[in-house]
Amino acid sequence: MAPGQRAKTIGLYTLLVILPLLCVLISLFLGRYPIPVSEVFSVIFSWITGERPDPTHFSVIFHIRMPRVVLGVLVGGSLAVSGAAFQGLFRNPLVSSGMLGVSSGAGFGAALALILFTDFFFVYPFSFGFGLVAVSLCFFIGRFTASTQAITLVLGGVIVGSIFSALISFLKYVADPMDELPAIVFWLMGSLSRAEYSHIYTAGVPMILGTAGLMLIRWRLNVMAMGDKEARTLGLNVNLTRIFIIVCATLATAGAVCVSGVIGWVGLVVPHMGRMMAGNNNKVLIPVSFSTGACFLVMVDNISRLISTSEMPLSILTALIGGPFFIYLLKQTKGRQW
Amino acid sequence: MVSQNQSPSDVKRSGIQSVITIDHATFSYDGAAVFSDVTLGLQPGETLCLLGPNGCGKTTLIDCILGIHHLDTGRILIRGEAVTALTPKQMARHIAYVPQNHTKHFSYTVMDVLLMGRTPYLPYYASPSAEDVARVEAVLDEFRLYHLRDRDYTRLSGGETQLVMIMRALVQDTPVIIMDEPTAHLDFRNELMVLEAMVRLASQQDRTLVMASHFPNHAFYLENEGVPVQVAFMNHSTVTLSGGPSQALTQANLEHFYRVSTQVVEYRVPREKRMFKQIIPIHTLDKDI
Repeated sequence: MAPGQRAKTIGLYTLLVILPLLCVLISLFLGRYPIPVSEVFSVIFSWITGERPDPTHFSVIFHIRMPRVVLGVLVGGSLAVSGAAFQGLFRNPLVSSGMLGVSSGAGFGAALALILFTDFFFVYPFSFGFGLVAVSLCFFIGRFTASTQAITLVLGGVIVGSIFSALISFLKYVADPMDELPAIVFWLMGSLSRAEYSHIYTAGVPMILGTAGLMLIRWRLNVMAMGDKEARTLGLNVNLTRIFIIVCATLATAGAVCVSGVIGWVGLVVPHMGRMMAGNNNKVLIPVSFSTGACFLVMVDNISRLISTSEMPLSILTALIGGPFFIYLLKQTKGRQW
Repeated sequence: MVSQNQSPSDVKRSGIQSVITIDHATFSYDGAAVFSDVTLGLQPGETLCLLGPNGCGKTTLIDCILGIHHLDTGRILIRGEAVTALTPKQMARHIAYVPQNHTKHFSYTVMDVLLMGRTPYLPYYASPSAEDVARVEAVLDEFRLYHLRDRDYTRLSGGETQLVMIMRALVQDTPVIIMDEPTAHLDFRNELMVLEAMVRLASQQDRTLVMASHFPNHAFYLENEGVPVQVAFMNHSTVTLSGGPSQALTQANLEHFYRVSTQVVEYRVPREKRMFKQIIPIHTLDKDI
């Protein structure tokens, strides 16, 4: 590798770490509770040095804003990385992280929990569990054809997704229109407003495991995108690699969806933003997607917090903000590396 | 280097020294025999030209050699090891494969595509190293195609794409390279470029090539260039091994297998000072077998 290229690579990876951190930092200053900029600095500084800051300010910054922002980084990154991995795996740029029915399965689980229990706590295990159930069903359908060919899985994903969508509609239909129905609708549009540290500790585990797995195998995604036969003759155990990628992407997506609801757009379009900026080589694309997804979701969530007194659901904003940004990127790069 | 006068029939086919041994191989698909009782042996440095009409099972036989399909009966050995016992990774260190149709889904650079040839040598979690990049650059240099290094491979012509696929096989550093109709859909110049690339591969380090082809003249081209060629006709679910092109591609055989009346000509090109053999097709014959 030429020295210039090496420097470029190091520069890129530094940027990919610094940009999300910068977004996190900026987000700590933003919110509806007014804290002056200097006060935020002094709270962060006193937190580092171990002094006792103003308890209210400390609480707003470290117990309300911080967990939300960290969760935003994890959720945005996980969705984008899973989407990019699925696009490579299924050799189809139009698939998203919800391809194999994770999102609809998780949505159904959440809706079911919202109807069955009064405690919101049950939403997390139910949505996570049904997200996994949906993907397992796709595999089960794929089994009927004696191979785990990409096309059977994609078709299985469409079928399972629509079955769970129908079940969600049924639950909405029977839900109490005064309180259950709004809760279901709000959950299905995605939000980070319930973020707590405990979510980072529990849902963070599958998100980090899944994302780390995809990071490790990211170069092999390139080989998988050559098609099953070529990938095999290039020395890949195609079925095992495919299952590994699906398990990782499913863990990451299910972890994200169970804490944040169904956030659209990130798992489909953010990878394409990455492709436009960094090209299709998954070795670079996967980290770029994580970084872009994290920055994008954190910034969109900031707008969601600030735009009105009641929070705007994220799926509305991801598309409304992402759409124009996507068009701008398309104009700037002319889709060259796409 | 390859000796020019060695006739393939002189090479002893003991099966022990063979790089590829196909031993009474039979394969059927949904009950219908694709091929049966195929026996072949290939020595290091030899090139097998697999000829036969469309749908005769050439690709299926190749898939069996690659271990993608499993034989009903018989066995295939690669350097003494049964293909069924090899993992994809081990297999990819024995045989590189050049596909018939490569579908491009994402715009990778030529470098990215060529680096994929290094997959069988990488641990599961690793990406190619600087040495792998150097290996690719050496192959690009060798083919005088260094200018393609950072090009988007989806924008390459059909011939350039095929050369990239051949280079990727070379980067894989295997003793055997299998090509399924490597010149399909190529124009006049690109076809010749691919054939020239094959001659270069065959004359390096005793590399064994298997090439499925629709063009019997390709066998003569390779023979004219001094590559030891074995011709095998595949037809009606069997393989008839007929030796070197001069023995195999006779007017009688071409009439029988292709139902085409031909004339094999031999001429000396004055500025080249060597003999060129070629088949001139005259007309088709009725297909009443």
